[in-house]
Amino acid sequence: MKSRKFTLQDKPGINKLLIVFGIILLLFVIKPMLFPASGVNASPTSISAATTSSASATPDGAVSGLEKFWEYTGFANAIWGNLIMILVGIVFIYMAIRYEYEPLLLVPIGTGIIIGNIPFLHDANLQIGIYEQGSVLNYLYFGVIKGIYPPLIFLGIGAMTDFSSLISNPKLILLGAAAQLGIFVTFLGALVLGFYPPEAAAIGIIGGADGPTAIFLSSKLANGINILPNGEVVKNLIGPIAIAAYSYMALVPVIQPPIMRLLTTKKEKLIRMKPPRQVSKREKIIFPVIGLIFTTFIAPSALPLLGMLFFGNILRESGVTKRLANTASNPLIDIVTILIGLTVGASTQADIFLTPQSIMIFILGAFSFMVATAGGVLFAKFMNLFLKPDDKINPLIGSAGVSAVPDSARVSQMEGLRVDASNHLLMHAMAPNVAGVIGSAVAAGILLAYLM
Amino acid sequence: MIVNQITFNFSNIDEYALLITIVGCVVVFIALSALVLVISRIAILQNFFIRLKIQKTNQESGPVGKTPVISLSADENAAICTALYLYFTEMHDEEKYVMTVKKVSRNYSPWSSKIYGVMNFSKRG
Repeated sequence: MKSRKFTLQDKPGINKLLIVFGIILLLFVIKPMLFPASGVNASPTSISAATTSSASATPDGAVSGLEKFWEYTGFANAIWGNLIMILVGIVFIYMAIRYEYEPLLLVPIGTGIIIGNIPFLHDANLQIGIYEQGSVLNYLYFGVIKGIYPPLIFLGIGAMTDFSSLISNPKLILLGAAAQLGIFVTFLGALVLGFYPPEAAAIGIIGGADGPTAIFLSSKLANGINILPNGEVVKNLIGPIAIAAYSYMALVPVIQPPIMRLLTTKKEKLIRMKPPRQVSKREKIIFPVIGLIFTTFIAPSALPLLGMLFFGNILRESGVTKRLANTASNPLIDIVTILIGLTVGASTQADIFLTPQSIMIFILGAFSFMVATAGGVLFAKFMNLFLKPDDKINPLIGSAGVSAVPDSARVSQMEGLRVDASNHLLMHAMAPNVAGVIGSAVAAGILLAYLM
Repeated sequence: MIVNQITFNFSNIDEYALLITIVGCVVVFIALSALVLVISRIAILQNFFIRLKIQKTNQESGPVGKTPVISLSADENAAICTALYLYFTEMHDEEKYVMTVKKVSRNYSPWSSKIYGVMNFSKRG
């Protein structure tokens, strides 16, 4: 079949439309030459005054209307920061689609970054920006500021997580504790770089590799609302911290392997672990109940996170609330992920995000991931000193103690297979991985208790 | 330049910061160690109850020797389950699983005739 090329002659309507727009554009371009006195940067009050008086003017009114329209467009209000951030958003979306780096997070965050950085006239009280009272985005952002979304995500995580690998080999939980070293070392690092203790704690939690926990803690400690003892207001670091946490979580397959290879010998990488024992249904039900009571008694500040995590797991394992478990692990977590991703992305408005603090947070975030990985691997080696020869731990699973579920466990599996193609570490690595979720929530609770 | 604004001040790490760090690390370890202990006890507790149940059943049906320790790996469980499944569902002889077509001497059969497979409407009323 012969195809015919589409030309503008085929659509005379489009042609006319283009001519009209061309004339309007031309008028707009030559307007400053004709009327140099009428400034482009008119204030909102003069704009509103123009609105009331422009109705009477005929040709001049049309031009001033266009001028006003121009004032409101993104082109007139754009700053370089907006363009840089929009580019970052596009890179996030590209990475998610091309390399499948955490697409469920990076696509909403990337789109949110673009939405949050569309320039508009801030003084016109349009109520569209995320930081403007009464805007839709501001209402959605409320869930981030007040720490509502993270516990809901933890509910979904609990309903999705199978703790049987952890129950079958409980000593691996300690690897999840060791990997929290990154949080506390980064806390000190942030203090050295000049952050106040609450801000430093919120930055440190990036080392927990847990997005919801990072948002939860930063919404409590570095929210731009709290007053410090010296009278100053803490900085609003929710956006940079969340973006850093999620970015590094997506980059776990890049950050962790070099450290794992550096800290382990070939002999250690070849260690084969005993297959996990079968876990009964009763154990799976008892675990979340006992876990909830024990961990929250020790760190009650982590109750919103741990309470929801274990509640979700009880829904899953009880076997009688399948509908609730299904809702928590599918539609609910999906809805909250969309909202949290979009609003956190949109909170990176260039004038608030592009600051020296953000650069420092990104540096500290990378550092905390490295320390956390090293902490887990080294502690696995330390544990091996006391374990029987047939009960040794492959140190490669230590890195899974950072709670980027299940990416860091997958990295352990890949690194194990690289040395021995028949040594599957995934199930073993899942134990420190889910323990890391509990550990980072406990760490967040302690930091909250000290610094809130 | 943004990088020039980054300064290091180690004096910011005061005693309180160190206290938070040390206490934080210790509490995380204590919390998760407690969890390790509890989970280990869950398995022991469960084994105890199972043994108790078995002993009770044995007392009703007659004395049997000491109850074995119940500790099976997932692999062993899978092997036992597979064996039981094969035993109960495939209790017939193993076959060769080779398909053959037996040549029949008589080539034509009315059952393969087309005339029996179509509706003969013309014969109806």
